[in-house]
Amino acid sequence: MASVTVKSFVGLHQTSLENYNRRHSVTGLSKCVVPSQLKYRRLNVVAAKSNPKIAGRNLRVAVVGGGPAGGAAAETLAKGGIETFLIERKMDNAKPCGGAIPLCMVAEFDLPLDIIDRRVTKLKVISPSNVSVDVHKTLKPHEYVGMVRREVLDGYLRERAVASGATIINGLFTKMDKPQEKNGTYVLHYNAFNGESVSAGERMSIEVDAVIGADGANSRVAKSIDAGDYEYLIAFQERIKLPDDKMQYYENLAEMYTGDDVSPDFYGWVFPKCDHVAVGTGTIGHKPDIKKFQDATRLRARDKILGGKIMRVEAHPIPQHPRPRRVVDRVALIGDAAGYVTKGSGEGIYFAAKSGRMCAEAIVEGSDYGRRMVDEGDMRSYLKKWDKAYGPTFKVMNILERLFYRSNPAREALVELFGNEYVQKMTFDSYMYKKVVHGNPLEDLKLAVNTIGSLVRANALSKMAN
Amino acid sequence: MSSSMALFSSTTPHLHSFSSSSRTHFPINPFLSLKPQKHQLFVSVRVTENGAGATIAVEEKKDSEPEVSKESSLGNGAPVADAVEEEVVKFEDPKWVSGTWDLKQFQKGGATDWDAVIDAEVKRRKWLEDNPESSNNDFPVVFDTSIIPWWAWMKRFHLPEAELLNGRAAMVGFFMAYFVDSLTGVGLVDQMGNFFCKTLLFVAVGGVLLIRKNEDFDTIKKLIDETTFYDKQWQATWQDEKKE
Repeated sequence: MASVTVKSFVGLHQTSLENYNRRHSVTGLSKCVVPSQLKYRRLNVVAAKSNPKIAGRNLRVAVVGGGPAGGAAAETLAKGGIETFLIERKMDNAKPCGGAIPLCMVAEFDLPLDIIDRRVTKLKVISPSNVSVDVHKTLKPHEYVGMVRREVLDGYLRERAVASGATIINGLFTKMDKPQEKNGTYVLHYNAFNGESVSAGERMSIEVDAVIGADGANSRVAKSIDAGDYEYLIAFQERIKLPDDKMQYYENLAEMYTGDDVSPDFYGWVFPKCDHVAVGTGTIGHKPDIKKFQDATRLRARDKILGGKIMRVEAHPIPQHPRPRRVVDRVALIGDAAGYVTKGSGEGIYFAAKSGRMCAEAIVEGSDYGRRMVDEGDMRSYLKKWDKAYGPTFKVMNILERLFYRSNPAREALVELFGNEYVQKMTFDSYMYKKVVHGNPLEDLKLAVNTIGSLVRANALSKMAN
Repeated sequence: MSSSMALFSSTTPHLHSFSSSSRTHFPINPFLSLKPQKHQLFVSVRVTENGAGATIAVEEKKDSEPEVSKESSLGNGAPVADAVEEEVVKFEDPKWVSGTWDLKQFQKGGATDWDAVIDAEVKRRKWLEDNPESSNNDFPVVFDTSIIPWWAWMKRFHLPEAELLNGRAAMVGFFMAYFVDSLTGVGLVDQMGNFFCKTLLFVAVGGVLLIRKNEDFDTIKKLIDETTFYDKQWQATWQDEKKE
């Protein structure tokens, strides 16, 4: 299934696919042995060489949590020759989630096209005074935002991990015993799924050498290593089944509603899913009022969701910044557990999967394909790579959120700016390909001037009202 | 300029019912017993000085949102919005035509009265903040504030503030120059030649620009904290490493 669909993407992202194949098919032996490469890899090789060799078995790593982060990490670990255990408590978990994945994820993770329920190619952003702008004029025909069902995506990535050699354990992780001596083992205790539930399941445990915590926003692994807390957004959404004619409008369109009524520090959304829409909103600093914000969101979208029936109500915390300690000894956090969600858009699926892969790659390298023990330095090298690769993206999203979500005038200015084609192009390019795109400096200057102009005008208007 | 009683110019054709400020009671619909119902009687108005009143129809509005059953165990939830009976109060103004301000109606002496356009937009935004409306595709809002020329903004917002700040700077400057002269005997021209005095001048101008209200002290401190906070959160994981 996977190989057939990868072909259709070759034209889309030639370079990234080739790089991916090159990285993953060449056995890493060349990385450690080839003398000319030694001087680039010296730091890693020295670290690996100083780690003790494990006699008689391969390195054992447990990945706690089988979502996109855990699945991607387990697959990469298993492919790298490491004995991998993937612990997941609910195999058919339909998670409350926007479910949007960027284009680069499909290519980078070789996702089959049938995983994507819907291709969203149109985005409408609506200001507090209902000025609306369609942000999609610059999208090319092959570009889209993929909407997936989380249970389908998560299940697929887990299956791939199993196919690469990981062992899945259906159970709920409860606690972790830290090693007593320097190269001792971690003992993870879990409740095995007994066919009905995990809370009443049999208590079991496994011994491993390293742990990857991929168990999401309320991570127990994070608690057990005292990783610290983060500020979080509470995202609340209702899944609404619309009549067919109304659903037609949302065929491949997603909407973003902004305003103090909808959310004082985030936005309300209507995202189309497989056969219904998800209408929701979120807030960071005004959590008790979330129901009020949800009512306001439904009011703003009322004409378009008229006649819809609410099928399900769900809510979940979404981290707003990384936890203070993401790696402690031989335990590393990835995905939502680490707090890798962009501010402003609340996007986390791609970052979860990518961080899982990066962390696993660091472990594979540091352990020399499972032959040696890893230490904290090897786990930290994943942090270094991650911060370097995606730090700027997160920081830019933070700046945008600070600038444009602070007040109604700022949101009016945001919608005005979105009318500009250059802004649309920059926004979508950075979203689709997850790189902070360097635009044309002259256009950037014009954009800066327009930004200041819009913000000043909108703020002036609002000051007059008071 | 604005009154909270129900006043409107009689020229508008958009009036529906008009009741006085007392609340009317609706029969409690059993459907709606899940949540307290919100009644809203809209009595708001703005009457501007030049009589270009924006008038809003005064009606009863029944809030239909709380009907929705939130129990997923009920199977099919209740319909999201009550279709027929409700009457919604929307923003209406004779000068607001198909989602934008009709500039032809803002003519004053042959040219567009941009001040009135600005006033009208301010009222519209304030109205919508207090009474959010559903966004409807059949009536899209397409007004863009950038059609108002830059000099209208300057005249309206920048110039008064600039006058205020320049006045402050001038007063501070004059008295500082006087005091320095009385204390040191150095005249104004010689003061300007001194580096320390030039620095003081720079600080005075900067202070007048940045700190316009008492609250600005805190605001600036908070802004500085904000700009570095996110970075600090990302760097937190590396602080441990340095300590070890």
